[in-house]
Amino acid sequence: MLRLLIISSLIFVCMAYLQPSHAHDGNPHISPGKSKADSQEACVEPTDIMRKEHYLFLLHQRDETVINGIRTKNHSLANCIDCHVSYDEKGKAIPINAEGQFCQDCHVKTATNITCFSCHAAEPRYPNHEKTISKDELKEISKIAKRIKDE
Amino acid sequence: MNNRRHFLVKSASALTMTFIVPSLLSSNAQAKKPLDQKVTDKKSWGMHIDVDKCADGCTACVDACNEENGLTGFGRPETDSQWIRKIKIKDKTTEKITTMPMLCQHCENPPCCDVCPTGASFKRVDGIVMVNQHTCIGCRYCMMACPFKARSFVHETLTTQNTNAPRGKGCVESCNLCVNKIDHGSDTTACEDACIKSGHNAITFGDLKDSNSKVRLAIDSNSPRRLRDDLNLKQKVFYSNI
Ligand code: HEC
Ligand code: HEC
Ligand code: HEC
Repeated sequence: MLRLLIISSLIFVCMAYLQPSHAHDGNPHISPGKSKADSQEACVEPTDIMRKEHYLFLLHQRDETVINGIRTKNHSLANCIDCHVSYDEKGKAIPINAEGQFCQDCHVKTATNITCFSCHAAEPRYPNHEKTISKDELKEISKIAKRIKDE
Repeated sequence: MNNRRHFLVKSASALTMTFIVPSLLSSNAQAKKPLDQKVTDKKSWGMHIDVDKCADGCTACVDACNEENGLTGFGRPETDSQWIRKIKIKDKTTEKITTMPMLCQHCENPPCCDVCPTGASFKRVDGIVMVNQHTCIGCRYCMMACPFKARSFVHETLTTQNTNAPRGKGCVESCNLCVNKIDHGSDTTACEDACIKSGHNAITFGDLKDSNSKVRLAIDSNSPRRLRDDLNLKQKVFYSNI
């Protein structure tokens, strides 16, 4: 029993170590200090894959959700926003498609146009932000806000 | 050593507690669909509306729907989106005035889907009739085909959408029985919830295939009818005392 536990925890530690090891290749992937993603090591898929194929995941999820009612979080657009959106020093979310923000900045550089945000909220749980967000998430956001202020 | 083993056993049982207990609870809660699984035809969502209980002047259901789906108007009642609206009808012989909510009737044979050129209007396997806004081209044939005027077209650029209800200019939209809530395990809609809270209890929502569901009890204990039954659309919204 004890040995089993030790072995499985070893495997777990190895996996936890291996998982983000391909994530950082020296480049900063996200604007530092402003979003939940900034305090995390990895995206929902390996970063190099996300970079090239994020839209394939999104387009697939789009049909799976609307037609088949699948509501997993991993490739959900709402979930990308929850994690990648930046906050200002008051803890208010900045629309993710605004100039210089995560989804917009890179698309401008790569001459890509997306229309998703003409319908999809570009801020998490807008506009009833405080009402629907969980306490833990709110805490996390105020932490981010504090960090930005302190810098 | 002994102590440590004790600790491990204890923490192991604490672990099993946290894993087993929630799974027991959720199996009690009448087989919620796991988030990663497709909807099935095991359920068929429907609604019963007792018109006698619907109060003149009350707009609780409409307000709740607008709030849930972030429907904000532009002060243009002719074109502002309405997923549910209150209508007033008068019986010509008895002069009896009735008010009732009107919304997408979620037909078994939906004319909106028949006429849609892109397949954007579709009926989900659990009976919810909705618009796939990703493929809607805004032609509005469905609006013409619907005998209940249940659909709206978004004429203006929108900026304050709710995360749970994306919507935008150039697409048709209508009641989707709070599909996002339902997929997350809810068995009520915003309008039903509001109607119950307002004390009127006119709207009852639920699974038509479950003979013990509240909506089936409401239907079985009244003798409701479908609006314009002659069209044979087999709607899943039933009206009593009309
Ligand atoms: C015309 C409005 C509209 C546009 C434009 C639009 N969507 Fe959607 N989208 C919707 C609606 C409506 C839903 C259904 C929401 C629900 O049922 O929860 C949805 C749901 C989704 C979902 C599943 C819910 C989620 O948050 O994960 C994804 C993924 C998605 N859309 C991706 C996209 C992407 C990517 C684009 C841009 C290429 C896009 N959508 C453009 C209206 C739109
Ligand atoms: C739980 C937080 C989280 C979620 C949810 C998330 N991401 Fe990420 N994402 C990250 C982190 C952290 C990185 C940076 C990883 C690194 O530094 O290698 C990242 C990196 C990326 C990158 C590469 C950026 C670059 O400059 O190379 C893209 C593109 C991306 N994410 C898109 C998405 C999309 C699209 C979604 C939704 C399907 C999403 N992310 C969901 C945390 C998240
Ligand atoms: C690392 C840069 C980068 C980031 C960050 C990024 N994108 Fe992209 N995105 C691209 C590129 C490049 C393309 C075009 C890919 C192609 O056409 O091969 C693209 C394409 C897309 C498309 C498909 C567009 C189309 O019409 O086919 C969608 C949808 C999309 N991105 C959504 C997002 C969202 C949502 C985010 C923010 C969560 C995001 N992207 C962040 C670089 C990025």
